[in-house]
Amino acid sequence: MAEPILEVSGLVKYYPLMRGILFKKQVGAVKAVDGVDFTLAKGETLGIVGESGCGKSTVAKLLCSLERPTAGSIRFKGEDITRLSGRALRAVRRNIQMVFQDPYTSLNPRMTVGDIIGEPYEIHPEAAPKGDRRRRVRELLDVVGLNPEYINRYPHQFSGGQRQRIGIARGLALRPEVIVADEPVSALDVSVQAQVINLLDRLQSEFDLSYVFIAHDLSIVRHISDRVGVMYLGRIVEIGRDAEIYDHPTHPYTQALLSAVPVPDPEAREHRERIILTGDVPSPTNIPSGCRFRTRCWKAQERCTREVPALAVPEEFRRTTGPAAHDSACHFAAEKQVVPPEAPGGHGNGPG
Amino acid sequence: MLLEVRDLQVEFRTRDGVAKAVNGVSYGVDAGETLAVLGESGSGKSVTAQAVMGILDMPPGRITGGEILFRGKDVLKLKEEERRRIRGAGMAMIFQDALSALNPVLSVGDQLGEMFVVHRGMSKKAARAKAIELMERVRIPGAAQRVGDYPHQFSGGMRQRIMIAMALALEPALIIADEPTTALDVTVQAQVMDLLADLQREYHMGLILITHDLGVVADVADRIAVMYAGKIVESAPVRDIYKAPAHPYTRGLLDSIPRLDQKGQELYAIKGLPPNLMNIPPGCAFHPRCPMAQDVCRTDVPPLYEVSEDRGSACHFWRECLHG
Amino acid sequence: MSERPYDPERAIAPTGAGGAMDLAASEAETLEKTPGGPEGTGPAGKPRSLWSDAWRDLRRNPVFLISALVILFLVFISLWPSAIASGSPLKCDLSKAQEGSQPGAPFGYDGQGCNVYTRTVYGARTSVTVGVCATLGVAVLGSALGSLAGFFGGTSDSFLSRVTDIFFAIPVVLGGLVLLSVVTSNTVWPVIGFMVLLGWPQIARIARGSVITAKQNDYVQAARALGASNSRILVRHIAPNAVAPVIVVATIALGTFITLEATLSYLGVGLKPPNVSWGIDISAASPYIRNAPHALLWPSGALALTVLAFIMLGDAVRDALDPKLR
Repeated sequence: MAEPILEVSGLVKYYPLMRGILFKKQVGAVKAVDGVDFTLAKGETLGIVGESGCGKSTVAKLLCSLERPTAGSIRFKGEDITRLSGRALRAVRRNIQMVFQDPYTSLNPRMTVGDIIGEPYEIHPEAAPKGDRRRRVRELLDVVGLNPEYINRYPHQFSGGQRQRIGIARGLALRPEVIVADEPVSALDVSVQAQVINLLDRLQSEFDLSYVFIAHDLSIVRHISDRVGVMYLGRIVEIGRDAEIYDHPTHPYTQALLSAVPVPDPEAREHRERIILTGDVPSPTNIPSGCRFRTRCWKAQERCTREVPALAVPEEFRRTTGPAAHDSACHFAAEKQVVPPEAPGGHGNGPG
Repeated sequence: MLLEVRDLQVEFRTRDGVAKAVNGVSYGVDAGETLAVLGESGSGKSVTAQAVMGILDMPPGRITGGEILFRGKDVLKLKEEERRRIRGAGMAMIFQDALSALNPVLSVGDQLGEMFVVHRGMSKKAARAKAIELMERVRIPGAAQRVGDYPHQFSGGMRQRIMIAMALALEPALIIADEPTTALDVTVQAQVMDLLADLQREYHMGLILITHDLGVVADVADRIAVMYAGKIVESAPVRDIYKAPAHPYTRGLLDSIPRLDQKGQELYAIKGLPPNLMNIPPGCAFHPRCPMAQDVCRTDVPPLYEVSEDRGSACHFWRECLHG
Repeated sequence: MSERPYDPERAIAPTGAGGAMDLAASEAETLEKTPGGPEGTGPAGKPRSLWSDAWRDLRRNPVFLISALVILFLVFISLWPSAIASGSPLKCDLSKAQEGSQPGAPFGYDGQGCNVYTRTVYGARTSVTVGVCATLGVAVLGSALGSLAGFFGGTSDSFLSRVTDIFFAIPVVLGGLVLLSVVTSNTVWPVIGFMVLLGWPQIARIARGSVITAKQNDYVQAARALGASNSRILVRHIAPNAVAPVIVVATIALGTFITLEATLSYLGVGLKPPNVSWGIDISAASPYIRNAPHALLWPSGALALTVLAFIMLGDAVRDALDPKLR
């Protein structure tokens, strides 16, 4: 593996629950992120998937220093950035930028596109000399596929997909090395999603970027990611290369998640096994003991209530070198193919 | 036919002009059949459904033409009073956002029971029993204990079940579900779609499923109508359309789903943007984005050509599209 | 697979009127959420901010035009009252007391024989001064405290909320009677000071609420992720997006301050003669309401018209700035 650019270990974020009006008392905590470890190699894309409330967006905020972790460390090129402040923090921020989910709230409606994309240069004046900024903004617009003539327009004059491009241009302005994209296409129309995914793909090679790509759409994550981590209730339950996760999942939650995704192929309707989980995700204020997935797991046994399964290669696969030998936090990890093999031929021979 | 929409046209008058949201939509559903209406935002799929249900905001909306035949009778010609009787008992709707569709200050039991008190003149007590029965039918665990709870005390998936229970209360012949699972997580989505399909079979209802998700459509629909700029561009049995789309827009949508063998390659993307409804392109509305467009597409509006007996495509070049 | 008949990246750049299209389209689909129906944002091509959109709206709104004309006229006569009224408002001739309309005194004379027309014209200055100064004071103090509380939250916010609660509990007229009765200075400033003291919590609440709303937007997070300082975030990102409700409430409050000045003067704790104010005139004329109703009618009418104009202006501005109608 190439040298890691980000190393996350033991990352924890609790939000205290307070009661009282003037004199507040802590009555509990929302355990949004509860012990997350991963590394991101240079030039790599790590996909993080999970359902709402699993803590994936909080991870994004922690990576971008928008929140301070309760515990754990985030190392950028070996330096822990979680304890930085002031000038040092600003310097790190140049290197890790974020792309937001909602293109309608992530751009200030009172600023022109030029001001929005140029703002990074005002905050970091050393990044570009004053006289050169306008030209750079035009260049960025061109890079993300927008007409540079639109520099004086306001965000509400653009469509969702175009706004997302503006947000991406702002993220690129400081030439960061890491981009954290939090559901960057889920608010867009299907026909526009592919355009933005292609753009992100192209920019990655053009600017030598490393991505943390957070989404709930499993097929898009698979398309863009080199490695994929599956989160459940504040933790990564399984992580590995994309084929390992999608074709050889060993954690029951991953298997259920994959089998629940509707497949755009009516032929697969009958001969496709679906694992329908019962119940809902437990509240992050009250996480089950032992394995946090056990309340919805069909394999759960007594051991699961006592022992927290570690995120490691499960024992039975340790001696093998096959694709099932990847990190999975389950006491009873077992391979199970849930995604039907691609229908031969499919519908298309490509566009006419 | 249980429901037949014929050449429906809806427009919205606004300060800046007239937006033509629906421009001649025709579709039909039989009892026991599931019709998926697929489209992106602005395609007119929801507006059509609102017009069918009679819940379109008028003004600014206006139905400027067409017929909506429910059991053979044009509901647009009915009096408001008669239409109200059809809503609930004849057809019911399930919305995307269950939290805002349920009244936050009434318990779910009261809201479910109200349907029986108002429409069937039941006593409060009998209505309560009916409410519990309905909650059990949509598989809400501990229905008898939870009947007095308020909507915010339920999870998203459970709320969506309550919405379904409400729609089912009077055993309507037709259910219109507008993006019923879009706001839900994948694992919960599967639960809710399963439930909906089971109930439909049980009651032999017609179901109109409005969605933008090609996966959901493939899973549950019998027929599919693809909408673009207020028109149906392709209508076909679901298997046919996934095997070989007969309209370039449908083909584009299917091709833009990431497939395994495309990993590391550029995704197919439909170029450009959906049209402005105040200024729909002349000829075929899709022509500025279409890779197959010819001169004729810029001038002539394509009719819904008959591709086969139960299949239509509004593309001048449907043959070329169908055969790739 | 590798070659496509077009370039999807470049293809997105809209041509012609492409700018705002998909907005118009998407809105038709989300009708339940945004009442008002689908809306285009008009001809694209020229840059337009939300403020210029609001201005375009206002210019076409007759309510705004009428109220703005009334207010401009008021400002004009409070700056140059002699332009339309000759003579001094303090020159009274008891022999003409309670006389009706006549040349040189179209509104007649009051109980003291003062020219009602001249006094009504000169009274505008007091009202406008009190209204504008009190509003400015309230807006500056209230929005500063309110935005800081909303932005930083925590203890300072709880403290401010309790303080505003206390101020809300003070009855305005009773507070005025008590506080202003000990003041000896007979100028507008103690009255203005009192209004600012009691008025700022209202604006502070509004400002706090809209700052909290604006703070939750992703663009604030985006600026933070870029390393923007708190002051930059407040000034560049939050203030411009939070100021609209403050402007609206302040405009409407301006009208109520003018009424409050009249009320306090009527009760004898606001301004006192020889100041000229509609409140003083209403107070002086009320004993003669049977014999000389005109002396009461004109200053009251002027007062009502002024307050109405400001409230209508506030309404029009709110309609123009309300993003939900956009």
